[in-house]
Amino acid sequence: MSYIDFQNINKSFGQNHVLRQINLSVEKGQLATLLGPSGCGKSTLLRCLAGLEEVSSGFMHVDGEDITHRDPRDRNIGMVFQQYSLFPNMTVKENIAFGLKLKKLPADLIETKVSHVIDLVDLKGKVREYPHALSGGQQQCVALARSLVMEPKVLLLDEPLSALDAKLRKSLQAEIKKIHIDTGITMIFVTHDQDEAMILSDVIHLFKDGQIEQSGSPTQLYTQPGTRYAAEFIGHYNVLDKKEFARMIGEGEPMEYGKLSAVFESAAKAGSSEMSVIVVRDNESVAIRPETIEILQEDSPAYRFAPAEDRYLLPAKVVDSTPHGNVLRYTLDVRGVRLHADILFRSFALYPEGHRLTLSVEKRNCLHL
Amino acid sequence: MKRNKHHLAALVPFLIIVVLFEILPLVMVVLRSFMPETGIGLTMTHYVHIFTTRLYQQAVLISVLPIFLTALVILLTMYVVILYLPGLEKYIRILCTIPYAIQGVILAVSVLALYSNAPGILSNRTLLLTGTYCVAILPYMYQGVQSSLLSVNAPRLIEAAQMLGAGRLYAFFRVVVPNILTGVVISAMLSASIIFGDFVIANTLGGNYFETAQIYLYQTLFESGQRTSAVIMVLFLVTLIISLIAFSLKKKERRLE
Repeated sequence: MSYIDFQNINKSFGQNHVLRQINLSVEKGQLATLLGPSGCGKSTLLRCLAGLEEVSSGFMHVDGEDITHRDPRDRNIGMVFQQYSLFPNMTVKENIAFGLKLKKLPADLIETKVSHVIDLVDLKGKVREYPHALSGGQQQCVALARSLVMEPKVLLLDEPLSALDAKLRKSLQAEIKKIHIDTGITMIFVTHDQDEAMILSDVIHLFKDGQIEQSGSPTQLYTQPGTRYAAEFIGHYNVLDKKEFARMIGEGEPMEYGKLSAVFESAAKAGSSEMSVIVVRDNESVAIRPETIEILQEDSPAYRFAPAEDRYLLPAKVVDSTPHGNVLRYTLDVRGVRLHADILFRSFALYPEGHRLTLSVEKRNCLHL
Repeated sequence: MKRNKHHLAALVPFLIIVVLFEILPLVMVVLRSFMPETGIGLTMTHYVHIFTTRLYQQAVLISVLPIFLTALVILLTMYVVILYLPGLEKYIRILCTIPYAIQGVILAVSVLALYSNAPGILSNRTLLLTGTYCVAILPYMYQGVQSSLLSVNAPRLIEAAQMLGAGRLYAFFRVVVPNILTGVVISAMLSASIIFGDFVIANTLGGNYFETAQIYLYQTLFESGQRTSAVIMVLFLVTLIISLIAFSLKKKERRLE
């Protein structure tokens, strides 16, 4: 049995079935992320583990103990909320010491523990401040310290960085990562931001409509998305259905799987011995990562060395380009199919709208989902 | 800039007239309240009379008791609604807003018609008046408490406290209530000034049974003009003090936000 085990968890709010047969495990010391869009059930699962919501059916185990119906205060689980939820009438120190005082620990022990976590989240000099006098990032650090000081078995973080600006979010991501390494505490992190999930997680569980769509390490999820949804959510993939893909590579319209026998029959009647068809199954898709698409130039190494049979050479026209930091994202038209290609932002890679160029896409980078 | 100054200078005489119009009656009432019946010299007799009669204690009791009761009932109701029955919140809001639409005289007459012949303690006039005041100030107390609860995001604070080992009731009274205390006090102050200024409900329900400040004021109108002025001054000062406390608390609350 894993350190945290969810077994057949279902949760409904009236007619709304929010969690469906969730089976999920988290190992001790792991930082697991529940990733998905708003309303997919990831926060509900976290709240069920915290005891703030009752599950409709199923079981939850932490460290071998069944905690499914335990009161939140008896679970020894800490939680950090998106809106900090600090107690406004208490100072930083009082906020952090709140739980320890409830445990009726001796004053000197409380002092020692509080000082330790204040050092850990780097809040020295702020202990006498009230929450309203702190920045958003500092408030979230207090919330983190307030949970950590209780030395919980599991720390739950419910979109803790969503309310912060981009720069602060990046710095707190590093802070959380550092705390995780320093303390070795098991953490479950909820977010809808795939980049954040990639940076922080040991393992990502991707949610869709109350179910787990795919689980795996960040690299696994990024390079081997199992479904169209995973590809679209995780990596800004170009997801094409088979008809679009066939049109893009210039192999004509593919056949529906069910119509194949009719094609064979008519070919036999016509006495044809050779035929070339692309067969599609229902809902099949092809996913191509934007950064694997190369724009070929005269002296491009790919043009010289990549064997022609391992790649598609595609004629394209520039529709649009948008800078994303150090990457320029081109929207390209390839035989009527729209593709996104990410190219490093360099002066020789700048092409105006309407410019015609050739793309190289390696076949192994076209993932059939 | 110069033009603006000219505009302001032109406004000064009007401002002086407005201030005199507002202040002069008050100054006259103050002077009159210190005048003896003979009209010569100054005296504290009227003020001494007010604070040595039972009026003072009665007015305070009748004003304060309903506020405490209503605040307690509202807080407990909101605790249950927030944590256990959030779906009922809209019905509670409607229920608590209804007294806004009911005039004092209708409320008092209805209560009297319903309870005047009721057995035992139910027909006790002090109890009836206290209960009616509870209903009358319900909208003010509810709005104050409810908006304070919204501003501190009470459910989330309770959850945060629970995750740190607190029970729900403990979390509500130890974490939430101290954070909404300013809002509760402001609502209580507002309610106190409403009760203090009421004549219709007190006269209809209390009648000859006891004298509240407003009834006393009404009665003294026919006895002594000087004493009436003293009662008006006391009521004015009490309302002013209440308003100043409420104002300073509101300022403090804004600073904390």
